[in-house]
Amino acid sequence: MNAALGTAGVTLGLAASVLGAVTLGEGLRRRDPRFLRAGRRYVWLLLAGAVLATVAMQSALVGHDFSLRYVADNNSRQTPLLFTIAGMWSALEGSILLWALVLAGYLAVMVRHFRARAADPLVAWATLVSLVVAAFFFALMAGPADPFRLVEGRPPLDGTGPNPLLQNHPLVAFHPPMLYLGYVGFTVPFAFALASLVTGRMGEGWLVETRRWALFAWGFLTAGIVLGGWWSYEVLGWGGYWAWDPVENASLLPWLTATAYLHSVVVQERRGMLRVWNLSLLVATFSLTILGTFLTRSGVLDSVHAFSESAVGPALLGFFAVVLAASIGLIAWRGDLLRSPGAIDAPVSREGAFLANNVAFGAFAFVVLLGTVFPLVVEAVNGDRLSVGGPYFQRMTLPIGLTLLFLMAVAPALPWRRAGGEVLHRRLLWPAWAGVAAVVVAVVTGVRGPGPLLGFGLGTFAAGTALRSLGLAVAAARRDGTGLWRALAGRSSGGMVVHLGVILVAVAFAAGSGDGERRQLRLQPGQSAFVQGHRFTYLGVAAQQLPNRRATVARVRVDGGKVYEPALSQFPFATQAIGTPSVRAGLFEDVYLTLVAVPSGGSGEVVIGVTVAPLVTWIWLGGGVVVVGTALAAWPRGRARRGRAGTGTGADDDESAGAPPAQSEPPFPALVGGEHPPGGKAGP
Amino acid sequence: MSATRRRATWGAMLVVLAVALAVGGREPSGPRSVEEQVHAVASRVRCPTCRGLSAAVSDAPAAEAIRDEVGRRLGEGQSEEEIVDYLVASYGTDIVLAPDPVGAGLLVWVLPVVVGTSVVAGIGIVLARRRGRRVRPTEEDRDLVARARAGGESG
Repeated sequence: MNAALGTAGVTLGLAASVLGAVTLGEGLRRRDPRFLRAGRRYVWLLLAGAVLATVAMQSALVGHDFSLRYVADNNSRQTPLLFTIAGMWSALEGSILLWALVLAGYLAVMVRHFRARAADPLVAWATLVSLVVAAFFFALMAGPADPFRLVEGRPPLDGTGPNPLLQNHPLVAFHPPMLYLGYVGFTVPFAFALASLVTGRMGEGWLVETRRWALFAWGFLTAGIVLGGWWSYEVLGWGGYWAWDPVENASLLPWLTATAYLHSVVVQERRGMLRVWNLSLLVATFSLTILGTFLTRSGVLDSVHAFSESAVGPALLGFFAVVLAASIGLIAWRGDLLRSPGAIDAPVSREGAFLANNVAFGAFAFVVLLGTVFPLVVEAVNGDRLSVGGPYFQRMTLPIGLTLLFLMAVAPALPWRRAGGEVLHRRLLWPAWAGVAAVVVAVVTGVRGPGPLLGFGLGTFAAGTALRSLGLAVAAARRDGTGLWRALAGRSSGGMVVHLGVILVAVAFAAGSGDGERRQLRLQPGQSAFVQGHRFTYLGVAAQQLPNRRATVARVRVDGGKVYEPALSQFPFATQAIGTPSVRAGLFEDVYLTLVAVPSGGSGEVVIGVTVAPLVTWIWLGGGVVVVGTALAAWPRGRARRGRAGTGTGADDDESAGAPPAQSEPPFPALVGGEHPPGGKAGP
Repeated sequence: MSATRRRATWGAMLVVLAVALAVGGREPSGPRSVEEQVHAVASRVRCPTCRGLSAAVSDAPAAEAIRDEVGRRLGEGQSEEEIVDYLVASYGTDIVLAPDPVGAGLLVWVLPVVVGTSVVAGIGIVLARRRGRRVRPTEEDRDLVARARAGGESG
């Protein structure tokens, strides 16, 4: 029953996406608006198919329908409800279903949002591109990654349950959906980028409309990555949150290119420059989400030769190649229309800083991509096996990260076009002194090494610049009597809040939060030991029987106060015991306890792993601040302000938060050449 | 404020920064504890049974075995390099987390530097050329701007 419903949903989704794309293609060929309006309606069928398949999957999981192979492999009668529901994204096939569901949701919002312009070839092309992407994912489910495949023979009485690591912490219910809302969200801006190339309408119109979509996707992706780090910290038990694992890198890559895009798109809006570059960044971001899925889902990481064992790997790699080839071809074909009309007047200017920002983010992404795929390429070429891990990424990305912090400190204070010494002095002096003061204080308190010192100094400098911008916005709002909310909502202030969040994360990195002081303590009951001035007293072990596992809990008193209980759990069908850390989180320092070995062979000795790491909490706080800032930045401008005319208060500062773009200076270069009138030429 | 006074202010700031970095910028040297040395070596190699984690941070038995072996060899007076060489000989080249800059391993270090430098140089050349042939706006251009601005305000 569930299998039949699910397969029906998948088939409906596949048919709707193919038929919709064909209808739209036919409408574009005939220039017939009736076809275009009909074509977009298939998106609702697509959504219905995706929802039907999801309902069938959830009904199978919750009802423990082990006649489905996916359920038998990823669920058991003992699995708690939360992890039963989350079982949908515990393995490949269900993850593809989640991807398809999120994509169908985005598509539905997109066609509804643009419903008044359904007959516009630009919108039609964008819908067509998204439908082709949807068709690919539904085809994966109809073929090699079928979530509704039945078990052979008689269904088992019980399943094996999800991977133990995926039923150990509630965050598993939130991290993957967040991540997918981020990944998949970039489909919409990507589709509009391709549509603008195909129709030849390179004006800034589509860009402004999809910028907010990219911002939303970016916010979800950021939240997904931070939650992933948090999950890793709370579950994996090694005291860190980021291991430069290929799976983690795969989520970081589109984040880097999307962050570059969100910055350089401002230059295009203001000055009309960097068009090819912005299109390339959108294409890169979307392609990297596909490449990341290929890397993490094809088994290629275990061995280059494993990836073709299922057809999923080659399919994803092929789709990645098609996306890349089509996009590059289109960009080359439209190259003449993309030539930017403006020029950068001076390197020390806002646009110069944005350019530098993009070079730095590009370099960051290049290093991460190279390091991630390099072992695969080398193994494929000459069979050598080598690893590229943490030490490589840390060494290569540290200078890039510091450069980005410096740009973050200086760029928001730079005026467009050209900066004079007087202006820079006035805007940067106090933030810069704050940064220097932070370095001095750090040295006095015993911090050593160029990395941490520069990280603290530049982080404080950047925070000073961001706070100054926010302060100016608040002061301007007070002067105008518009209230705090209007000062903080909108792109400029939201962006500065995002900067503050990123600075919190960067300072935590610089402080070495990912690599704390680590010890293994061998303790008898009642015995104490010290690590970094903290006292750990081992009280004893206790056994716990939970619905889905058997746990041994060690009771450890920290600093004579609260008792913490790191555990080792034995899951049915799992050979290895799974550790559950116990963390005393603090604003400046985390104490992280793991149970490494339980007493055995008559001795009462346990092995307790202790990690003392600074500022870990700042990572999670920073992630929260980034999400708040993103929401502020995405807040529709019209609702946050009285209107476009009334806010040009920043006479000395085009940086003042309220200033609508291009009011304080002639928008001359942005508008000459290349801009086609709205509703201009139709498709090729 | 005059340009001279501005320069003096920033100069003073740079001096303070330079002194602070000179005092605190060097990594702490001197004799390290055995634990720190074990951590340093184990950080450079992979935990054989995990994915992505170094042998320094993993609680897996295989990682613990490597840490014990490193501690034993340090006690025998072997240098960090000798111990890493031993680990490569017994576990294979992919035990090291950052490849040696030789052969194929050289590429992963050099490529980002080469590509990065060429991109920066390329952008510099393009920008310099563009600045060289900037044209003055004509009357017609200004007209276009005025019209576009008038149209743009409504949207």
